[in-house]
Amino acid sequence: MPPRHPPVAPGTMKNTRSFCIIAHIDHGKSTLADRLIQSCGGVDERDFRDQILDSMDIERERGITIKSNSVTLNYTARDGETYRLNLIDTPGHVDFSHEVRRSLMSCEGALLLVDAAQGVEAQTVANMYLALEYDLEIVPVINKIDLPSADIERVKEEIEEDLGLEAEHAVLCSAKTGKGIVDVLEAIVTRLPPPAGDPEAPLQAMIFDAQYDPYRGAVLLCRVQQGRLRPGQSALLMHTGKRYDVEEVGLLQLKRVSVPELDAGSVGYVIAGIKSVSDIEVGDTITDARSPAAAPLPGYKEAKPVVFSSIYPMSTEEYPELVRALEKLKLNDAALIYEKDSSAALGFGFRCGFLGLLHLEVVQERLRREYDLSLILSAPSVRYRVTTTAGETVWVDNPSYYPNPGQIDHVEEPYIKASVMMPERYLGPVMELCRERRGEGTTFTYLAVGRVELTSEMPLAEVIFDFYDRLKSTTQGYGSFDYEMLDYRATDLVKVDILVNGEPVDALSQLVHRERARGRALHYCERLEETIPRQQFKIAIQGAIGGDIIARKTINAFRKDVTAKCYGGDITRKRKLLEKQKKGKKRMKMVGNVEIPQSAFIAVLKTDKD
Amino acid sequence: MTAAGLYLHVPFCTSVCPYCDFAVTIAGPQRRASYLDAFDLEIGRATARGLRFDTVYLGGGTPSSLGPGPLGRIVGRVRERLDVASGAVWHLEVNPEDVSPVAAESWRDLGFDFASLGVQSFDDAELAFLGRRHGADGARRAARTLLDAGFPTVSLDLIFGLPGQTRDRWRRQLETALELGAQHLSCYQLTVHDGTVFGRRHRRGELDELAEDEQAELYLLAHEILGAAGWESYEVSSFAAAPHHRSRHNQKYWDHTPYLGLGPSAHSFDGRTRWWNRRKLRLWAAALEAGESPVEGEERLDDEALFAEAVMLGLRTAAGIDLGRLRDRFGAAVAVVDEPAVDRLVAGGWLVRDGDRLRPTPPGMAVADAVVRAVLA
Ligand SMILES: Nc1nc2c(ncn2[C@@H]2O[C@H](COP(=O)(O)OP(=O)(O)O)[C@@H](O)[C@H]2O)c(=O)[nH]1
Ligand code: SF4
Ligand SMILES: [Mg+2]
Repeated sequence: MPPRHPPVAPGTMKNTRSFCIIAHIDHGKSTLADRLIQSCGGVDERDFRDQILDSMDIERERGITIKSNSVTLNYTARDGETYRLNLIDTPGHVDFSHEVRRSLMSCEGALLLVDAAQGVEAQTVANMYLALEYDLEIVPVINKIDLPSADIERVKEEIEEDLGLEAEHAVLCSAKTGKGIVDVLEAIVTRLPPPAGDPEAPLQAMIFDAQYDPYRGAVLLCRVQQGRLRPGQSALLMHTGKRYDVEEVGLLQLKRVSVPELDAGSVGYVIAGIKSVSDIEVGDTITDARSPAAAPLPGYKEAKPVVFSSIYPMSTEEYPELVRALEKLKLNDAALIYEKDSSAALGFGFRCGFLGLLHLEVVQERLRREYDLSLILSAPSVRYRVTTTAGETVWVDNPSYYPNPGQIDHVEEPYIKASVMMPERYLGPVMELCRERRGEGTTFTYLAVGRVELTSEMPLAEVIFDFYDRLKSTTQGYGSFDYEMLDYRATDLVKVDILVNGEPVDALSQLVHRERARGRALHYCERLEETIPRQQFKIAIQGAIGGDIIARKTINAFRKDVTAKCYGGDITRKRKLLEKQKKGKKRMKMVGNVEIPQSAFIAVLKTDKD
Repeated sequence: MTAAGLYLHVPFCTSVCPYCDFAVTIAGPQRRASYLDAFDLEIGRATARGLRFDTVYLGGGTPSSLGPGPLGRIVGRVRERLDVASGAVWHLEVNPEDVSPVAAESWRDLGFDFASLGVQSFDDAELAFLGRRHGADGARRAARTLLDAGFPTVSLDLIFGLPGQTRDRWRRQLETALELGAQHLSCYQLTVHDGTVFGRRHRRGELDELAEDEQAELYLLAHEILGAAGWESYEVSSFAAAPHHRSRHNQKYWDHTPYLGLGPSAHSFDGRTRWWNRRKLRLWAAALEAGESPVEGEERLDDEALFAEAVMLGLRTAAGIDLGRLRDRFGAAVAVVDEPAVDRLVAGGWLVRDGDRLRPTPPGMAVADAVVRAVLA
């Protein structure tokens, strides 16, 4: 039997459509993608699994997309022609906005998916504005029309009023039941434009993400803007200046399908003997070294880590494994950077740089899950610019290397421009939150009736702690958040040390604004008080700036800890428990003579609101 | 060779107390009968072991609820088929509601000389909270009856650390026990176990456990009051008016003397291997009826495990542990303790060092589990 949707021959740009789906979380993006893939016969029934584009466990579990992905589908439309549809799935979090932007640049259009029961929500708006920035043609799609609570008319009104889009021709569908999926496909074909690049012009291909293959090295995901990309070419990466021999190009159809060439408008992959993902930069432009394009594609920005934290294995025996795990992770995660570090309290570890807190969490989670490592992380920090009295500039992101206050002339910290989009009713509380977080020059503008965008210049350090969580709870999930780096501004920074029975625990030290020092120190002391078990002696927990104690808590010595009964049958059980606890003892960190459990190092990073 | 201990598990109770996590069941006459038949079979299988016993302990459950007939049958079988030394101590667990002068006399006649009476408290409100079937008067009356019946040792079980229990209230329980003339006390802190009624109530937030500091105060109060009365605390929960009133049977558990346990869930130990019977009455009985072993599992202890147990059990007793002897028994490579931790425990007043011997102080007994964790390297 011939395939229902035969493959499209190359060179048929007019039959190519590249698009992404933008939606608020849970409005059905992954489900719709699944349905589109299935109805184009993009996958064998038996290979199918839900949320097929989210390939990492952690993505599937948390329902978030971390890496971009794409899939090329063949669709025979009602007009009898077969089209090649490139669906590009983008991450949905500010930490990865770099990848999001690159992905959007590779599309001509977007399906704006709105839940028929929930209506337009924060991320719908935020993502739509992002899509408009890249001039994408937007087709509103109302999903979940099967729900009894669906209110299509109201949602149409919201689309018109809140988004300013024409909703009369919004496509109605249920990604769950499959109803209207053909209408969605037809809308993609008839309402989105084909790509415009010239296949005969010099090659320009945008790398929008990269994956790692243990046998082939880095697999670059790219979209050919103009020209042609084929094996045997010498590829020049225009920003890094590196050259590679193209070994294979192809389409991503849930698996890699090699093709003779990718021409203008194609979305696919390139393998070019690149050892690891960290050898390339997302956003870079591939050209042909023999007849290069005049300039790279616009929009390239180096993905710079902004949050730093040290990672230590819970038991020193795990250090070699941590080394191997980070090396492997790095192959797949270009944004992760790390260097050796060591702590008096925790031994050898690594100082790592991350794109943001979610990125940090994802890395930690992957180390735990994929490599079975039990880790301690130090408090995340931004990178400060310190000018010494000798006039030198030093960059400090690790409290251990913070110069002596006597040698510091002044310190600057990174500021961001934060932008929050939300329904008007949350404006007051969010402005208050920004003020609390030392926001300056806070302003807002009305985007539409009842919707505002607030911008505020804020220290990045205030954002990395728990701003995002606070924002979400303050706006009940309706607030969307994005930021860009602004500049460095003078700050009054102090180093807060945490002492346990007089011994400083270097991994708990942190750099904080003076106004925040007492609160943060107290938070740490309280969390440690809750998590360090009682021991043979009283334990003093103190927060200090230099010699000044600014917070204090005490853990009393243990007083009652004994099982009442220990007869025949209790003995085995009790010994087994003891053996387990003995293993746990190895998982304790000794600071002076105090045993600190791993949970204490984790607890201090949690906010009070959790 | 030192004689072994014999434990016989009687799994029946008339109702199950809300804090109880023992292997107990409320069984009708039929299951009780099949239990007794199975017991005969298990006693028969045990003869082959060729052990000599100088302590016999009937525990449960509620052995006293068996009634003189069935009890007599078990005792008779044991005497008939197993080698019990003539000076052996016979130990019986008794619940107050089963005590009457007639019953007490029958137990004495069967040869029991150590009676453990589960009074738990002499306070009606506390007893109601504990879901016990007797009241304060019944508790007192039962204790007197046992003493009058001439048991050489009458021991009372008391529970402390009930939510809201004050020092005074606990003091009154201890004083009542002393006034009555008991010679042995087992003072157990109320422990909330998963899978019990209290466990469920605790999970739902309807039952608060007493704070650690208050628990410690009540526990140390028992040491104080009983110590002032000239008693000794020879194990974390066990107090005796004089050394000859200690439980010789329980002592075997704590110094690795072999013991044989019969009945559902009973554990046995031969100095190296510990094994245990099926916990469910039905399964235990079915195995025996089928002519099979009712043993469900066993573990052979290596020197490391035996050493850990020796420390764990020894540090729960007033005698403590003798490091020199442990090194002789297990070798210096195995018998290792965390010396700096020991020094800290001695300095903190939790342990007393006496040559090679480490003994827990009363506050040390209150935290024996933590002490053991610290001492084991
Ligand atoms: N009733 C109904 N539920 C849907 C539909 N589409 C998605 N869902 C459900 O909505 C939830 C979120 O869908 P998902 O695709 O993971 O959303 P995403 O977060 O946007 O990727 C899941 O429980 C889906 O099963 C639909 O058309 N109808
Ligand atoms: S009487 Fe004893 S064994 Fe029976 S249920 Fe109550 S506590 Fe458990
Ligand atoms: Mg999803």
